[in-house]
Amino acid sequence: MSLSPEQIKNLIDLVAAAKDDQLDCDGCLEHIAEFAEAHLAGHSLSAALKSVQVHLESCGCCRDEFEALLAALTTLDKNA
Amino acid sequence: MSHHDEWVDRLRSAGQVRDTAIDELRRILVRGLMHALGPRGGGEAFAEDVAQETLLRILDSLESFAGRSRFTTWAMTIAVRIGISELRRKRFQDVSLEQITAGESLSVDPAQDVAESSEKLERRAVVLETLKRLVEQNLTQKQRTVVQADLGGMPIEEIARRLGTNRNAVYKMFHDARAKLKAGFAAAGISAEDVQAALS
Repeated sequence: MSLSPEQIKNLIDLVAAAKDDQLDCDGCLEHIAEFAEAHLAGHSLSAALKSVQVHLESCGCCRDEFEALLAALTTLDKNA
Repeated sequence: MSHHDEWVDRLRSAGQVRDTAIDELRRILVRGLMHALGPRGGGEAFAEDVAQETLLRILDSLESFAGRSRFTTWAMTIAVRIGISELRRKRFQDVSLEQITAGESLSVDPAQDVAESSEKLERRAVVLETLKRLVEQNLTQKQRTVVQADLGGMPIEEIARRLGTNRNAVYKMFHDARAKLKAGFAAAGISAEDVQAALS
């Protein structure tokens, strides 16, 4: 199946953005709560949390879940 | 006693203290889930179901809470993953890998292109020919399938379900495929910037 021009562009973007990701999705999940709190508080990231950031940049599923988590935490903070 | 320990202790206790803690946590999870997943089609009943499943999982694995975040943040990460996984499953329940890939192997057709300056067109043709060769020669059939399904919009979690494996394994396949293509371009003397400029 030939890719559409848009899919080729997406593939090229994925290839260009490929990084040395040390985590898998479960490893990301293990640290994502801590990462989300640091992100919302604007704190600098430890080495462990930087690896979460790299994974989020590489994994669409985890990024999607992280964005939903931020939405959930933001509303909880508002109502706390 | 920290806030974290308090939640764990209350959930580990018995009787009214535990029941009250479970109910408080359930309400927190439902509120967060409705806000986060409501726009994706997860209404109140869905949020209640996900919160219940999350509570069961949390109560079964309290020892895995390491205290690196607030307890409620940790609980919400589990709830969000359960909720989104369920929404993905429902969204793709009638979609097969064959539909996404049209039953054919991934390929790049350098012929399909729009009019551009001849110099840019030439650079683009080199990039596309290289990409075609790298996809055909450097990726395994499984990697081609995973890449193709991802480009077709199927989440890796759903790809994994169809391949009879887990999300971590598919993520690794996808990650390795991207790394192979990137290394292939570098070996061909084409930088990431060259590639993006040629296709911009």
